[in-house]
Amino acid sequence: MLRVCSIALVAMIASAASAWAQGAGGANLAEAAKKEGRVVVYSTTDSASANPLLKDFAALYPGVTVDYTDMNSTEVYSRFIAEVAAGTGTADVVWSAAMDLQLKLATDGNAATYASPEIPSLPKWAVWENKAYGTTYEPITFVYNKRLVPAQEVPQDHAALLTLLTTKPDAYRGKITAYDPEKSVGYLFDNEDIKYFPQAWDLFRAFGKVGARLYPAAGTMMERVTSGEHTIAYGVFGSYALARSKKVPNLGIVMPKDYTLVMSRVAFVSEKAKNPNAARLFLDYLLSKRGQNVIANAADLYSLRDDVTGEATVTGVRTQIGDRARPVAIDRELLANLDAGKRLEFIKKWQAAMKGQ
Amino acid sequence: MTVQSHAGAAPTLRLAIPFTFYRFVVIIITAAVVLAPLALVFYQSFLDAPFFQPGARASLYAYRFVFADEDFWVSFGTTLLLASGMTLIAVPLGAALAFLVVRTDIPGRQWLEPIILIPIFVSAVVLAFGYVVALGPVGIVTTSIKELLGVAPWNLYSFPFLVAIAGLTHVPHVYLYAAAALRGLGSDVEEAARTAGAKPWRVALDVSLPMVLPAILFASVLVFFLGFELFGLPLVLGDPQGVLVLSTYLFKLTNKLGVPSYQLMAVVVVAIVAITAPLVFVQRLLLREAQRYVSMRGKGVRLAPLRLGAWRWAAFAAIALWFAFSVVVPLAGITMRSFVETWGEGIALSEVLTLDHYRDLLDYPNVVRSMVNTLGIGVIGGAAAVVFYTAIALAVHRWPSQWTRIIDYLVMLPRAMPGLVAGLALLWVFLFFKPIAPLRQTLVSVWLAYTVVWLAYGMRLVSGTLLQVAPELEEAGRTTGASETRVKFDVTLPLIRAGMLASWLLIFLIFVREYSTGIYLLGPGTEVIGSLVISLWGTGAIDLVSALSVVNVVMIGAGLLIAIRLGVRLHG
Amino acid sequence: MVELAVTDLALRYGESEILKGVSVTVPAGKVIALLGPSGSGKTTLLRAVAGLETPYRGSIRIGDKVLFDAAGKIELPAEARGLGLVFQSYALWPHRTVFENVAYGLKLRGVGAGDIQTRVERTLGQIGLAHLAERYPHQLSGGQQQRVALARALIYEPAVILLDEPLSNLDAKLREEARAWLRALIVSLKLSALLVTHDQIEAMAIADHITLLNGGLIEQQGTPIDLYREPATLFAAEFMGNNNRLEGTLVENADKRAIIDVMGDRLAGMARTGALAGSKGTGIIRLEKVVLGGGPGPNRILMTLKAQMYIGERWELLFTNGELSVRAYTTAPLKHERYHVEFPPQALWIF
Repeated sequence: MLRVCSIALVAMIASAASAWAQGAGGANLAEAAKKEGRVVVYSTTDSASANPLLKDFAALYPGVTVDYTDMNSTEVYSRFIAEVAAGTGTADVVWSAAMDLQLKLATDGNAATYASPEIPSLPKWAVWENKAYGTTYEPITFVYNKRLVPAQEVPQDHAALLTLLTTKPDAYRGKITAYDPEKSVGYLFDNEDIKYFPQAWDLFRAFGKVGARLYPAAGTMMERVTSGEHTIAYGVFGSYALARSKKVPNLGIVMPKDYTLVMSRVAFVSEKAKNPNAARLFLDYLLSKRGQNVIANAADLYSLRDDVTGEATVTGVRTQIGDRARPVAIDRELLANLDAGKRLEFIKKWQAAMKGQ
Repeated sequence: MTVQSHAGAAPTLRLAIPFTFYRFVVIIITAAVVLAPLALVFYQSFLDAPFFQPGARASLYAYRFVFADEDFWVSFGTTLLLASGMTLIAVPLGAALAFLVVRTDIPGRQWLEPIILIPIFVSAVVLAFGYVVALGPVGIVTTSIKELLGVAPWNLYSFPFLVAIAGLTHVPHVYLYAAAALRGLGSDVEEAARTAGAKPWRVALDVSLPMVLPAILFASVLVFFLGFELFGLPLVLGDPQGVLVLSTYLFKLTNKLGVPSYQLMAVVVVAIVAITAPLVFVQRLLLREAQRYVSMRGKGVRLAPLRLGAWRWAAFAAIALWFAFSVVVPLAGITMRSFVETWGEGIALSEVLTLDHYRDLLDYPNVVRSMVNTLGIGVIGGAAAVVFYTAIALAVHRWPSQWTRIIDYLVMLPRAMPGLVAGLALLWVFLFFKPIAPLRQTLVSVWLAYTVVWLAYGMRLVSGTLLQVAPELEEAGRTTGASETRVKFDVTLPLIRAGMLASWLLIFLIFVREYSTGIYLLGPGTEVIGSLVISLWGTGAIDLVSALSVVNVVMIGAGLLIAIRLGVRLHG
Repeated sequence: MVELAVTDLALRYGESEILKGVSVTVPAGKVIALLGPSGSGKTTLLRAVAGLETPYRGSIRIGDKVLFDAAGKIELPAEARGLGLVFQSYALWPHRTVFENVAYGLKLRGVGAGDIQTRVERTLGQIGLAHLAERYPHQLSGGQQQRVALARALIYEPAVILLDEPLSNLDAKLREEARAWLRALIVSLKLSALLVTHDQIEAMAIADHITLLNGGLIEQQGTPIDLYREPATLFAAEFMGNNNRLEGTLVENADKRAIIDVMGDRLAGMARTGALAGSKGTGIIRLEKVVLGGGPGPNRILMTLKAQMYIGERWELLFTNGELSVRAYTTAPLKHERYHVEFPPQALWIF
């Protein structure tokens, strides 16, 4: 009897200790969060897409208000570090699509360590040291104008695109558009391309030779493709493309069959969070099956959980390209993209490529 | 009436604050408010990391980097060209427009004025996009012309086009100042020229123009500065062709090294300010010259409009042309975009009409709240801003002192900071100057940011109306026994009431479309329409952006009409 | 009753000297006119007394109170001088009623509302504008505005009242009535007044003394009669009255008498200059002093009648003889062509 009691006692203490280490876990977390009453989120996900999530979260946890501010990635970063330095209060959760900047913030000590209970359900590459978490699984696609690009010419992979541009340069002169790596997440994607596509620089040179137009944002790229000003856009977020294509049947999407980069919006709980429990609650929600379900089916984003069904999921992507998905790993390698020297070198080479050299 | 012998019946009531004290207090506050963000930026330019990070060291690396960057010099030159071209277009047109509307019998004068102001309150990004929809490579007008003539002989993304659009959309700014000045003229000087045999245009050039030269000069310098600040237009119209201006170069710099590099941005701002200061100096010189032509105001006779005779309809046509190109074309583009599913090459518009976007707007979170916030900032914030500007304008009004020079420079400086940097600098000010930190999360910080950035613009509006108060009216107050301070309250302020109302209306229009300045100070609950537009733009929801913009324009336009109906006259 | 004393006032704008050392005294209860052409500095002097301009030398006193002293670095601001100033343009505040315009000075001095009411009503009654108390300035005629401006300056009973061209904005007929009324008012109120005008008739009609200014300096000071009948300088002579100017050469100049040779004819007159025989001289004679004599005689020149103009109560005639032209008055039109025009010696001043 005494033995059973002592084992039970030890077990209780152990679980309590681990729960404490995780920060009031489970139902206790919701309680603690309610006491805090709000969570401040800085995010690059626009309000329209985030709205279903916020509504669902509010339904689930009515006592916790989400103060949601959406800005672009530079603004999120600048505002966050300034506020942290000033010590006057800042975001509890930072959720940004700029993966490299997020990791920098995390490695600079801004991310709180928190082992979310959802970790077992997440892919390995999506969790970094229990600090930074990937929350989505968005393929990087080609997007094209169905009316203006003949079906047989639609490139199904990177090599096909390169061939198309080198064999039919006049047909596509001024019609290609891509991210501007100097001003956007395009830098990250291009460097990933270099990893997986040995002829990446030839492709970039081909862009240059047909006078491709570069933009800092996916929205502009898609608009110009649907209007016909351009006909093919390279490197567009699949999430945006999918959402747009539902409204504009004219828009065609291709997940390149040789490999498709997959990016993930990274979230972390701030070390200096004023509402740490609410922050953890929100993060857990984002990663939970319920939250990911909303992400996949209501929020026009892609879910990264295996157990979520729908087109905008890991499974959905797998049906299209099998095992060719190449998610960008959330690890220190991302920081290489922030190396000033490397960037300047790349940009120089890129600018030459844009001139066709 | 009996008169006792007095040694001087001086009044006993005196307002406690001597006016000179007030003047200096105003200078100090203005200096603080203007120099704080600039000082931070300046300081930042000499560091190698954000100034608030403990490891930041002094370094000239940023300067070396920027000055060695070919893009910097190219964009600098392009910006100078753009600003000059813009000014050369906007100033003559604006002045001519003002003369036509204010001094001649051109048909339709009453409703021309509010219409002329439309470009002021439409966001530049939206306007630019309207041009893309209308005149872009696959724009509606372009495709129609292509069908008719076989070729559309223009390239919207070319530099000349950018300059033209920038110039034409800044005509209202010049118009405002020129019109106000023209209204202050007595008609006798112009009538003298007419009876001597001068045709209307000669009168305009030989008589009216020299007399409103100070106002036009000021407007020219202001437009030139605005050229440096231009962002939305070059972003949408210049980027595709690789045309780089300082503000889009700044945008590039932000991310060039991966992590936002404030020191590089700061260097660019320092460079811009370095040009600003001499410009203000030149402006003061020119102003002093121009003041010689401004005579004692003619007897305030009711202005008889100059008859244009045969030129009437030609002038009207010219204005209609400007209006068509600067307002109708882009707005039509946006409106069309808001009513179609998709557009462009190969699309028959009639097949894709829809009201969906407007319906979607209603579902969009925060639309109503952002509209309320925007209106709030415009109406209440605008009023508060006018009070602030009046306080400053009063301080330097008729003050024969060298200190007014300081205000001239101070007032122009904030406009030299492109919105991108201004917003960031103002965030820093609110974060790191503890006394005002609590205001940061409120709309007050946004208001302060807008007010500081538009200081030059607003103050000049009020100054203009102050100048119309004849000095004798103030002197009469003083000889009756009122102190300077008392005179400002009892005589000057009541007399400029109408002018302040007009300024309020104009500041309202400016604040309502502002966005980039407050970006770092906005938060949930304080978002404004401008931030909504940019956010939607980022995801490619251009259709929602269009619908929102149309609603915005209609709302503001209605407000404008109501205000004018209620008697707010745009001439002070 | 106090005296306003302006001593050796000098003032400059930038490089130009506007006042070059002017002294004026306004004895208690007297009206002094500052007379002169535009640019003479008269308005500047008035404004300096009011405190609206700052001289660099000199002093201004009212009785014992020092308003301004350059040497002692004393400068009372305008609002503390307790003077009344009537502006040429009246400068009535357009956003206030007549009542409020006039009451302002009392309000500043802390007079109670009831007293203000009484005093303003009384003042408006005395200038005949009681029925217009609630009107706004733009609803009044020029003459009415002028009276309101006056009332506004007088209501707080200043020691000295300053008037800047008070009648110049009125039309001719009104001006004549107004100058009589103005003088009567000032005298009845026993005020001291300093008045600026460019109209010599106005100055002579209203003022007890006239100070004639020319180029920032005093040309002559005296009663109207002094200035009119005994001008000290050529400028003074020409500024007052209507004159004929006879250019010629001095032949003789001795003992208060002089002889001037005008185109061959010798005219004797009163010497007003110390110049020597042989130098240039100018003869000045008032139009009304020219006599049309019969036949040749001393101080007469044969001239041809060129024009006759009827100007109401008399005829103004124009005679010429070569370069010389002379005007004179008669009560009846002339019939002949040639007349001997006489310049009585005691009326002819030679400068």
